[in-house]
Amino acid sequence: MKQSDSDNFETKGQWERTAVYSAWVAGVFSVVVAALLFVNYLQLKVLIPLREERLEAMKLKVADSSADAQLVGQIRQLDLDIRRDRIRGQGFSHRGSYLLLGGFIVLIAGAKLVSYLRKQLPHPEGQREGRAEQMQEANAGRWAITAGLIVVGAGALIFALMPTTDYGGSEVSSYPSAEDIAANWARFRGPGGLGISAYTNVPEKFDVEGGEGIVWKTAIPLAGFNSPIVWGERVFISGGDEKALQVYCYDAANGKLLWTGDVPRQGEEKVNPMEDTGFAAPTMVTDGRRVYAIFATGDIGCFDFTGKRLWAMNLGVPDNAYGHASSLAMYRNLVLVQLDQGQAEDEKSRLIALEGFSGGTVWEVKRRVSGSWTSPIVIETEKGPQIITCADPCMIAYKATNGAELWRADCLGPDVAPSAVYGNGLVYAIHPYTKLVAYRADGTGDVTETHIAWTADEGISDICSPLTNGKVVLVLTTDGLLTCYDAKDGKKLWDKELEEEFFASPSFVGEKVYLLSGKGVLIVADISGGYKDVARSELGEKCFASPGFADGRIYIRGEKNLYRIGNRAGE
Amino acid sequence: MIRKSLILSILLLAVPYAAAFGAERFPPPEFESGYELPSPTTPSPRVDVFEYIDAVVLFAALSVGTYLVLKKRSRRWIFALMVFSLVYFGFYRKGCVCPIGAIQNAAMTVFDKSYAMPVVVLAFLILPFVFTLFFGRVFCAAVCPLGAIQDLFVLKPIAIPRWLDSSLRLFAYLYLGLGILFAATGSAFVICRYDPFVGFFRVTGSFNMIVAGICLLVIGIFIGRPYCRFLCPYSVILRQFSRISRWRVTITPDDCIQCRLCEDACPFGAIRSPAAKWRGEDYSVGKKRLALLLVLLGVLVVFGGWVASRASGWMARVDWRVRLADRVYLEETGKVSDTTDASAAFRATGEEIKELYAEASDIEAKMATGSWILGGFMGLVAGLKLVGHSVRRTRTDYEADRASCFACGRCFTYCPREHARLDKLKNKEEGK
Amino acid sequence: MPQEDKSIDRRQFLKSGIRGAAVVGIVGAAGLGVSKTRKSDTVWQIDPNICVSCGNCAKYCVLEVSAVKCVHAFAICGYCDLCSGYLNPKPRELDSGAENELCPTGAVKRKFVEDPYYEYTIDEELCIGCGKCVKGCNAFGNGSLHLQVRHDRCLNCNECSIAAACPSGAFKRVPADSPYMIKTKVSHG
Repeated sequence: MKQSDSDNFETKGQWERTAVYSAWVAGVFSVVVAALLFVNYLQLKVLIPLREERLEAMKLKVADSSADAQLVGQIRQLDLDIRRDRIRGQGFSHRGSYLLLGGFIVLIAGAKLVSYLRKQLPHPEGQREGRAEQMQEANAGRWAITAGLIVVGAGALIFALMPTTDYGGSEVSSYPSAEDIAANWARFRGPGGLGISAYTNVPEKFDVEGGEGIVWKTAIPLAGFNSPIVWGERVFISGGDEKALQVYCYDAANGKLLWTGDVPRQGEEKVNPMEDTGFAAPTMVTDGRRVYAIFATGDIGCFDFTGKRLWAMNLGVPDNAYGHASSLAMYRNLVLVQLDQGQAEDEKSRLIALEGFSGGTVWEVKRRVSGSWTSPIVIETEKGPQIITCADPCMIAYKATNGAELWRADCLGPDVAPSAVYGNGLVYAIHPYTKLVAYRADGTGDVTETHIAWTADEGISDICSPLTNGKVVLVLTTDGLLTCYDAKDGKKLWDKELEEEFFASPSFVGEKVYLLSGKGVLIVADISGGYKDVARSELGEKCFASPGFADGRIYIRGEKNLYRIGNRAGE
Repeated sequence: MIRKSLILSILLLAVPYAAAFGAERFPPPEFESGYELPSPTTPSPRVDVFEYIDAVVLFAALSVGTYLVLKKRSRRWIFALMVFSLVYFGFYRKGCVCPIGAIQNAAMTVFDKSYAMPVVVLAFLILPFVFTLFFGRVFCAAVCPLGAIQDLFVLKPIAIPRWLDSSLRLFAYLYLGLGILFAATGSAFVICRYDPFVGFFRVTGSFNMIVAGICLLVIGIFIGRPYCRFLCPYSVILRQFSRISRWRVTITPDDCIQCRLCEDACPFGAIRSPAAKWRGEDYSVGKKRLALLLVLLGVLVVFGGWVASRASGWMARVDWRVRLADRVYLEETGKVSDTTDASAAFRATGEEIKELYAEASDIEAKMATGSWILGGFMGLVAGLKLVGHSVRRTRTDYEADRASCFACGRCFTYCPREHARLDKLKNKEEGK
Repeated sequence: MPQEDKSIDRRQFLKSGIRGAAVVGIVGAAGLGVSKTRKSDTVWQIDPNICVSCGNCAKYCVLEVSAVKCVHAFAICGYCDLCSGYLNPKPRELDSGAENELCPTGAVKRKFVEDPYYEYTIDEELCIGCGKCVKGCNAFGNGSLHLQVRHDRCLNCNECSIAAACPSGAFKRVPADSPYMIKTKVSHG
């Protein structure tokens, strides 16, 4: 009996020793593996990303410089090294993790065995826990809970100090209200692109030589054919040439140039717009917080009202024989770019909606149309907001929220420049030199035959956009023939030869139509009952851009100067 | 039918956005060389039937565990089952989905109309509840892989005073409350996000959580199962069920002979020594104190709610939509002029900022309500704990505390009566 | 003694009552829950139309190498020679030199099909799900490359840690029996 006990004891001792050793060995092994894994982790998560950054920088450099065989060699070597190290590192961390796990298992098994073998019979010592101890324990428990509660509460109160955002109710909007848009001249041809002034107190006459009615006149640094846009006390135009693309912000009060914003040219290709179009034909657009400008190079930029450039990008040089001329439009916070180009079958034309603040593409649709020079308009219909676009061969309406095509009318022909207008549920578009068409805007699919209201073919323009006030539609040809149609049935009411050349589109101020000729003559005519000349004033400078209207003022862009027509403030 | 309409709605949703990116700038070519268009592969996820097998394994493990704890009374077999569970639910199933995390799925199912939890997840949540109600915390003893991995590390347990044990457990209640709150608002599954051991089961994971796991395991060498005792949100639910379980772990198979041998047997401090009746003067003091505490309970609930509601703004910021709204607000008010990935992505959706603000405010409002409830709950828990520490229950024997006992079976062999039972069993078998 | 027994009995009775109520409650809640449960499991997937290919998929997966991979919807691909998902924005040559290739791991493979078309495939063993090619393809190409959770790798965590880090909320729980959102051809008039 004794013998076997001591045998037992010895084997137990051997077991214990083995267990202790194996636990130690496994422990040291685990620590070493863990350390290696940590180093490997740093390698993968810190060093490799750093090297990748360097590689990216080198790649950028090699794209800029001409053939540099040495740099190319370095890039290839670094790339190879990184890939090899990454794969090696991943392999190690995989295998290492299992090694560590194995180490842990042996360690735990050893340690468990040791503690099992070293287990001793319990020897309860001292006094059995008595009443006093238990009472004390309970007391300590109460205090500890109180302390825990205080800790948790204090933690919560510390987090309570963290500032939170009050979103200012739900008044904040990402886009201007309909009232604000109606009160300003935020895009080509003002609210809705319709060419209708919200104000009737606009001057009818001025005299440049006598200085009468000219509040200020200021020189424009770089040329452009785009029209002024106005928001509150700020007037914006853009200009450009081969070297620079610029946005100008003027103080409406005194004509001071407040800031000039540069849109960097990002396209590589050479751009050769026709002289009649230039680099800055498209009119800018604003949402009251930011302004957006696009140029013939396909570069588009966004500035805030202080002149800080928020973003700029290149949408690709439009393949356009005369140069890109389509103005920007906005729907809510989306900047709409009608990028028509090439031939219809090239499938290069697109309509893009960019988010104003970030410039991110919200949606983009392809258009099977050829290059055009028209600007999109956004109309509110019973079926929701629509974007109306004109190009060869179709007028197409898109859902403004997502760019889904709503309807199309196969009614237009080559070289479309006049933009559409909308009134009384009808969209009016021009097939240059050929016809004026009126379509109901509530169709779906191909509405060429089904939703046409009327057509007319006399005195059709090729550049100037039509004008409607819901009662009549006016069409102005480049060589000065103004034709008036009944808006409802297309009956020709009258026409008038103005004996001037026109590039700018006509506008309505109340019942009066404002026509700005190429030579710089502003003709104001009352058309409430046939044509009646009201006034003619000469600017003495060539004019191509449509004027902008504001409260008691007209902004006219001449070839070289920007004018504010009206009475001096306070007079 | 529901699924079909779900897919349909996904497709419908996809169409307008597809216009954003899907517009083919280059027409897909028409090949002349007879090239055949490959189609993208779609390797399947784990087949559903395996999920059901998991539930069956869970049920079987709970049943076997119950037998081992209550009938067989064998620590060795319990240990074996625990290792099996660690291997199966831990290393093989990679610790997902587990009953602990399933609490959040349940909370989300209740509060989020668009979310429905898979039936297997429901089974994972419910089965341990039912078993605990009848047999005590068998799940903790031998089935939970998180418990198992910690149990392996119980090497040199030291006794920690009961008051510390009890107060540290407040964190587990807090964790439970936060887990449910964030899941209910659809903000996050924090219990999964901060699971310290799942990284071991996957043999990979986030650096921070692996380090946290290692720390807990090292602590666990001295303080048995720290996660289970002071953090596990599921544990605090099982505690309550275990209090009223039909059967439970007893240290002795029959009678306690007051030998005190089991006094220090439990590494988790769950063994309670006999307690005498109140003495006269203690009784009257205790009665007064209890009355006071019961009044205090109501105060604590209200106060807790108020304190927590102060922190609800911070809690709302756990939700990415609220953080996004904050960011967009900064951008819109001109405090920052660049965009983040998130704000640029939001802006590219063309959605109204107003609606984002409204959504964020809605989450904040929900969080405010939720934090009142959470705070009240914490107040209630603390209050009840205070009451618990002030109520004296008479005990004549050494007993395993119903709530705290993990049913690990370590104490069995400390009892001389158990040895007597085993001897008897052995003799019986030999006699046969 | 008999009095003590009584109090124990009462407590037992109370406990049984609570237990019964708890069982009924749990089973009842579960029964109610079943009406709102789904038979099949859900899995995580990326909605490619919401994804902004920010690169988080490569960083946040619990796996050493992300379970998110680039997937090619061949039907949409233009098979371009100058592929903006394969090549740097300003490549020197249209070849696989490291200075020209966009993919940091060389996982996008290029194969000549017929003049002027090239087929692009993804080697998933190499792909880390960084989405660089996806960004390029969306910006200048047809958007045929897109990121998807590959379910032969995904562990289907209860809370996907990439989903928690996704800036656009593109991660969705989808039914396990239709686990992919592969891009398909969308035609425009």
